[in-house]
Amino acid sequence: MSLPLHYVNVLTGLKGCRVIEDAQALGKIIKKAERPLLVFGPRCIDIDLGGKKAIEYGIELAKALGAATCATAHTKKKLLECGVTPDSAYDAVEIINHLKDPNWKGVKKLGNHDIVMFLGMRTDFGNQGLSTLKHYAPHLKTITLCPYVYPHASFSLANMKADKWKEYLENLVKSLK
Amino acid sequence: MSKGKVKSEEINKTIRAEDNWEPVGPTPMPEISDLRRWDMRLLNTYKPFYAPFCDLCCFCTYGKCDLTGEKKGACGINISGQQGRWALMFSLMGCSAHGAHARHLVDYLIDKYGEDYKIDLGGQVAVEAPHMRTVMGLKPETLGDLRKGIEFVERGIIHGVSATHMGQEGSSLDFESKSLHIGMLDHVVMEVADIAQTIGFKFPTSVAETPLSGLGWGAVDKSKPVVTCVGHNAAVATVMIDQLMKMGIYDQVEVTGICCTAHDNIRYSDKAKIIGPLSKQLFFLRTGIADLVLTDEQCVRCDIPELAKATGSALIATSDKISYGLDDVTHKEVDEIVRMITQEGKQVLIRDVDKAGEVAAKVLPIVAKGRKKEIATKEKATELAKECKQCGLCDRVCPNLLNISDATADVRDGKFEKMADLFAKCVGCGKCEQECPKSIPIITIMQAATAWDTFNIRVGRGPIQDVEIRKVGAPIVLGTIPGIIAIVGCSNYPEEAEEVVEIAEEFAKRKYIVVLSGCAAMAAGMKKDAEGKTIYERFKPDFDAGGVLNVGSCVANAHITGAAMKVANIFAKLPLRANYEVIADYILNRVGAVGLAWGAYSQKAFCIGTGCNRMGIPVVLGPHSAKYRRLYLSRKEEDDWTVMDGRKKELINTEEPSPEHLSIVVESKERAIITMAKLCIRKNDTAQGRQLKLNHYISLYKQHMGTLPDDLQNFVRNDKDIPIVYKKEVAEYLKNVGWKPKPLLTLPTLIGTYESNIPIDAVVK
Ligand code: SF4
Ligand code: SF4
Ligand code: SF4
Repeated sequence: MSLPLHYVNVLTGLKGCRVIEDAQALGKIIKKAERPLLVFGPRCIDIDLGGKKAIEYGIELAKALGAATCATAHTKKKLLECGVTPDSAYDAVEIINHLKDPNWKGVKKLGNHDIVMFLGMRTDFGNQGLSTLKHYAPHLKTITLCPYVYPHASFSLANMKADKWKEYLENLVKSLK
Repeated sequence: MSKGKVKSEEINKTIRAEDNWEPVGPTPMPEISDLRRWDMRLLNTYKPFYAPFCDLCCFCTYGKCDLTGEKKGACGINISGQQGRWALMFSLMGCSAHGAHARHLVDYLIDKYGEDYKIDLGGQVAVEAPHMRTVMGLKPETLGDLRKGIEFVERGIIHGVSATHMGQEGSSLDFESKSLHIGMLDHVVMEVADIAQTIGFKFPTSVAETPLSGLGWGAVDKSKPVVTCVGHNAAVATVMIDQLMKMGIYDQVEVTGICCTAHDNIRYSDKAKIIGPLSKQLFFLRTGIADLVLTDEQCVRCDIPELAKATGSALIATSDKISYGLDDVTHKEVDEIVRMITQEGKQVLIRDVDKAGEVAAKVLPIVAKGRKKEIATKEKATELAKECKQCGLCDRVCPNLLNISDATADVRDGKFEKMADLFAKCVGCGKCEQECPKSIPIITIMQAATAWDTFNIRVGRGPIQDVEIRKVGAPIVLGTIPGIIAIVGCSNYPEEAEEVVEIAEEFAKRKYIVVLSGCAAMAAGMKKDAEGKTIYERFKPDFDAGGVLNVGSCVANAHITGAAMKVANIFAKLPLRANYEVIADYILNRVGAVGLAWGAYSQKAFCIGTGCNRMGIPVVLGPHSAKYRRLYLSRKEEDDWTVMDGRKKELINTEEPSPEHLSIVVESKERAIITMAKLCIRKNDTAQGRQLKLNHYISLYKQHMGTLPDDLQNFVRNDKDIPIVYKKEVAEYLKNVGWKPKPLLTLPTLIGTYESNIPIDAVVK
């Protein structure tokens, strides 16, 4: 079990995430989704990866995959500025609360999602939300796209520095196209 | 719930049932399950949302038990039950902290003044104890009556604790109901504590415009002898201040405090000063500016003896709740204790309030003599940071996920901007230093980075006045004052504490009533405008539209929730007496009050919030509070929003999720503002009131999200609700989403939507 970057998120339990070191491999998992959802958290607004914001990678990824999107916190405004209208604008715990229900209609009203990706949340807050899904939403898989180990996710990236993360996201988007 | 004859007689005697100030309502001195049906009704709409912190339970020797998936523990409990149990335990811890605090104050004051000492909160506060009246059915008249309140709560706590034992309660909903009950009791004991100290220590009451006091670590004159009180119980400090006056040296010393004791110190004497909230405890004590540290109870660091030793500050612990393993010298003569502290350099425990106060005053000038208090200079800080090898271990342990290594690297190069920013966001835990393999004193380095500024805070004013309630009752219930925004709780902020100021100011400018308490009230004072004024100097201190007021320490929170009860009583003329369900229902449906605990960290804050929830007040929490692991959320589109129209006695599906949640965590300040504006919406709003509330909701949503709210259709009942400024675009939006007018109500209530002994007529006045 890899340790999370922030020790506040250390797992007290047996059921932890699988760290996927290789972007292509993660791409393969994601591609299996029938109704993927990408949840944007507010930290992706400001994170700059060599002139490109993290949120832009999220947008590219959602587009490449045709994933539904959910803007949490105040990310909706930034997405609109980037020319993307999110499919929904719930707050983080609200979307998670919906996702718990296997019969929920989903943000596009086509049924609940089967793979949910998260990008740009505080790691402690995000890991708590992922715990909810781990315990109460066995019908879906969760994937985190930030450069930190998220023990409560189904699949997580490893802890990595910004340049490696940029490379990872680029490869991931490529693998989805 | 029927009670046995003996029990009923006991209750009647305790509350003096024969006093006919109001008829005794249905639930005098309720036991832990007496309001269970109300809870279940709330929990049906606002379901518990759990985010387990741990997958395991390790409560008994059967464990550890893995509770993931469908698995149950060896005792049969499942993960939800276990989370509910945590929620109950948190509530119990919080309520017990306030309860024991209240017990200490009341016992001390009864000892001093006798149990017949009268409660008098001044000419402007006739409804002296809305919580005691509503929950217990007792109108307290004396200190002895306040003690009855504590005894009642103590009984509830024992029952609550018993349910957490393994092999007892297992249902998450029942754990939640019990937790809500304990939350309700918490507001009773907070009220008791604040009334007791207000009458016992003669704090200001029945005045809105209390004086301003100094605030901030820069406000302290360190050339004088400095005593710093840490904690929540000002009993000892009041005696110490009296003694300093008697000695004729009060103006030659600095009485300072951190956390709520500081709030209560300035209520006792506005010459006292507040250093800041809890998050600055370690930082300030590390400076060694305090010649004497006086600890009492709650939110006090466990390592103060060590810290004091390191800086050469003297230490007196004054509470049996925090004894630190020190020698208990309570039985010794004052002069002997003074000698032990000043000559032997001993840290001591004194459990007698009067003795501790006297000793503190006497040792202060002596221990201060010749002490050097040097704040780290920039040169010194640069020197200290030199050793940093950029390993990043500090970053990994920071509970606020801060980037410490970058800031330290900058300091190495003589640049302090990042360190100043770090300090502003630091919650003061000291874990970074502890982890550092090079033992770099990061907290000391922060001394060189922060501005040593002086601010002002308005002295806590205690209860809201009845006359203020009379004035604002109608506008609040009709919605023309858009809401009461209570900004409360601790300082575990996700970003700069300044966010609290920004949020408070946003609502004050929009003419909400902004009420603050505790560490949040301190944080709110720590920002000045271009003219050098803090929020307390820019806005009027009235409980009225656009007012910004500080009620006082954490226990004064009971006055904020009490104000909502008073609206039901003074404005709507509903009897409070033992009438909890009706009053809570009134608040839920008609009083647009919402709490914000942006930096909540303690079990007390959890319990206060839970008590708010039971009485129908929603609470918004900052991201750290996800670690409380329990929220109460609805699902707006899926849930049933049927209420009873109290006048027509018809069930009506309003389709309106108001208030949408009872307890929610949000991640950003922007989202908090939007959510709070929305949570002020109530079913009872008149068209004019709803227009105003929607006006704010829309304008804030547009400002932070860039569009009209995507759930606007839920809150527009008919055309008259649409704010005029947005008329055209809202009409167009509603058309696009297929909005239809909703049924109108004359008097919304949940009574009648679930099985209850309360007749619907009880809510109609
Ligand atoms: S209380 Fe129950 S779940 Fe917890 S350790 Fe004991 S048997 Fe296991
Ligand atoms: S003291 Fe401040 S900077 Fe250091 S770990 Fe704690 S919160 Fe982070
Ligand atoms: S732990 Fe110490 S040495 Fe390592 S980066 Fe932080 S301050 Fe520098």
